[in-house]
Amino acid sequence: MNLGQINLAQLPVGQKGRIARLEAQGPRKRRLMDMGVIVGEEVQVEKIAPLGDPIEVIIKDYRLSLRKIEAESVTVEVVL
Amino acid sequence: MRPGSDRGRETITVAVAGNPNSGKSTLINAVAGTRLQVGNWPGVTVEKKEAHLVHDGHPIRLVDLPGTYSLSPYSQEEIIARDYLVQDQPDVLIDVVDATNLERNLYLTMQLLELERPVVVALNFFDEVRKKGLVINIQALEEALGVRVVPTVASRGEGLPELMAAAVQAGQNGGRRAPRKLAYGEDLERAAQSLEDRLQERYPGLAERYPLRWLAYKLMEGDQMALQEANLDAEAAAWVSSAAAVKHLKSSHDEDLEGLLAEARHGVAAGLTREVLKRPGWSKVELTERLDRIILNRILGIPVFLLAMWLVFKLTFDLGNPFVDWVDGVFSGPLTRWTTALLTWLAAPAWLTSLATEGVIGGVGTVLTFVPLIFAMMFFITLLEGSGYMARAAFVMDRAMHLLGLHGKSFIPMLLGFGCNVPALYATRALENPKDKVLTALLIPLMSCGAKLPVYALFTGLFFAAHAGTVIWSLYMAGIVLAMVMGIIFKRTLFRGENPLFVMELPPYRLPTLKSLMIHTWEKGKHFIIKAGTYILAVSVLMWFLLHLPWGVEDKKDSVLGKLGQGLAPIFQPLGFGQWQAASSLVTGFVAKEIVVATMGQIYGKEAEPEETPSLGDDVKDIAMSFGKAVMDAGSNVVSTFGVATLAVEEDEKTKDWRDALQEQFTPLSALAFLAFTLLYMPCMVTAVAYKQEFGTWKWFGLATGYGLILAWLVALIIYQGGKLLGLGG
Repeated sequence: MNLGQINLAQLPVGQKGRIARLEAQGPRKRRLMDMGVIVGEEVQVEKIAPLGDPIEVIIKDYRLSLRKIEAESVTVEVVL
Repeated sequence: MRPGSDRGRETITVAVAGNPNSGKSTLINAVAGTRLQVGNWPGVTVEKKEAHLVHDGHPIRLVDLPGTYSLSPYSQEEIIARDYLVQDQPDVLIDVVDATNLERNLYLTMQLLELERPVVVALNFFDEVRKKGLVINIQALEEALGVRVVPTVASRGEGLPELMAAAVQAGQNGGRRAPRKLAYGEDLERAAQSLEDRLQERYPGLAERYPLRWLAYKLMEGDQMALQEANLDAEAAAWVSSAAAVKHLKSSHDEDLEGLLAEARHGVAAGLTREVLKRPGWSKVELTERLDRIILNRILGIPVFLLAMWLVFKLTFDLGNPFVDWVDGVFSGPLTRWTTALLTWLAAPAWLTSLATEGVIGGVGTVLTFVPLIFAMMFFITLLEGSGYMARAAFVMDRAMHLLGLHGKSFIPMLLGFGCNVPALYATRALENPKDKVLTALLIPLMSCGAKLPVYALFTGLFFAAHAGTVIWSLYMAGIVLAMVMGIIFKRTLFRGENPLFVMELPPYRLPTLKSLMIHTWEKGKHFIIKAGTYILAVSVLMWFLLHLPWGVEDKKDSVLGKLGQGLAPIFQPLGFGQWQAASSLVTGFVAKEIVVATMGQIYGKEAEPEETPSLGDDVKDIAMSFGKAVMDAGSNVVSTFGVATLAVEEDEKTKDWRDALQEQFTPLSALAFLAFTLLYMPCMVTAVAYKQEFGTWKWFGLATGYGLILAWLVALIIYQGGKLLGLGG
């Protein structure tokens, strides 16, 4: 585990990250990838839902929402 | 060769594919308009839209595919789209692309191009592209993709003639396969080529039915459905682990083959976008971002959500009710009079007149009186969907839904449930995890459907006229709260296990076109009218017989229905409505909730007394004038949306007597218990059919009915007995 690596759910609002790894498997992984969540992609956390979950991220120029538990399966490197 | 290849200038089949929120529906509506026919895909209940039209002398069959982000075979929509493209081999494919979100949309385009059918790309929302200062080099995009690319603004009809012309041109030669132009990188293509070579060698003739490169990709993805479809055997599947080029590909990348292909498609889409799209030096805060600051605000998000839902219901009633009154007036007044007069003139027996007016006209009238409400409700739900708010609602509510073990997407079928449980059940198809789909379906009956409204309207009008809106709103909320309780109970007992995925686009806010709204509203409303027309009319007639059998029965208490009601009445005694009339009405509500009101009308109603018959001319004039008044009322209600007590049921002479009878038999407390029971007790007959269709078994309908009856009885008991203890009177 690289020191600069955290999971997407830990990325603070407004912070950019670059996707380093997907921990999900099978259809869950394919679904994420179909929506553009792929290694090397830049992602920024935009909002957190009023009840604390899910989160909204901007990826590939569009707005995607995913639950924290799913975001935890996406490892990102913080982009400074 | 495909059977249609020698049809020459015969009908060209054009399939329309695209991402959700790409404006595909608006485009289809704009092109096809009223020629659109809505049905279902064979064997499933996913909506299939089709239209026959003529462009420039060429007959065209337009087929709308479900909106998908991908053609991976994980959701019903994706499977339908793919099966159609592979099996039916349309002559041309129109790929509707949201041009403001080119990169992600091109990912699907890649997969469509893999199928090697002629493709025309519609770059939709091109006005927004210009407004954002984006520049798309269309010629470069055409060259890179090897297909025609047409900028469109579907909402204004811009570019659509050009799009159809391009589609006709592409499809004219009988749908010849488009040449492959895009490559996914050397290692991957080499692996695919080695698989393609083996396929060619081992399955001669296969290339005539399927693009071999596509099958090679499917082999690499381990796509069982595609392999079965093409009749490939286990040996072919094993090539993936034996072919040297594939081995090399796997060993040189830290990713599985399916992932590699997804990355490759995204890679090409991203590369293309970099090449053809120029962004402006400036960027402004977009409308979507500004709206989301309020709508998704951590503090305001939930109040905004509740306000939106409340507004939808308030406006639905305010808009719909004047027309409800008008339809009711027409049916119970002039139509009944005319029919009676006609039958009397024909010397028909009294029972036939009674059957025709009470059974048939009464039944049709019951159905039609709340058509305005259904239309208004559907209009707003379509507006929520089309504007982009629906996804926000799911985002805001997901945590709460998640607590019940539901998906944020469960929210949408649940919300549809307020209109009608039947389409709501079909909408559960959007849920990928079968467990959560069943759980959502089980909770849908707790969403108070539109058919229960006439019951609420009747009772609140009689017993809570001053607070009708509040009482009805409370009933809806009670249903939601109980759904939460039942959700948690089910989740902890029948549905343990892993949660489904919540990965959802939050599309930009857009104003749907009025035409699109109208077409969707009409289609959804029409479904209700057809359902109502067939089932409810038949049932209304059946109920008339139950009420009038044995033949010549004098007292309704002695009728078949009355006897049934008497048998069941003791069960309802502790709930405050132990009269046989109430029990009988609830029995008929099994079949459809709105029938409860119709039955009450028939049971409590006395024989119609002869009244002075206005002339035909007066009647027609009256109908027209009262319609004008209904329009004005609806308009002024919307202007003064807040605080207008439109739910107060206007009493007319015809129904006054049985309304009086209701007021004698019920107290406000027992009326409330009765309403709660009506809210909860069981899904209707048509919903039962929907359960069966959706799950292939009666099991879940049985469970929904079982828990519904128990819950309804308990809640009504608590309201009535609790209310009495609090001294609210019995």
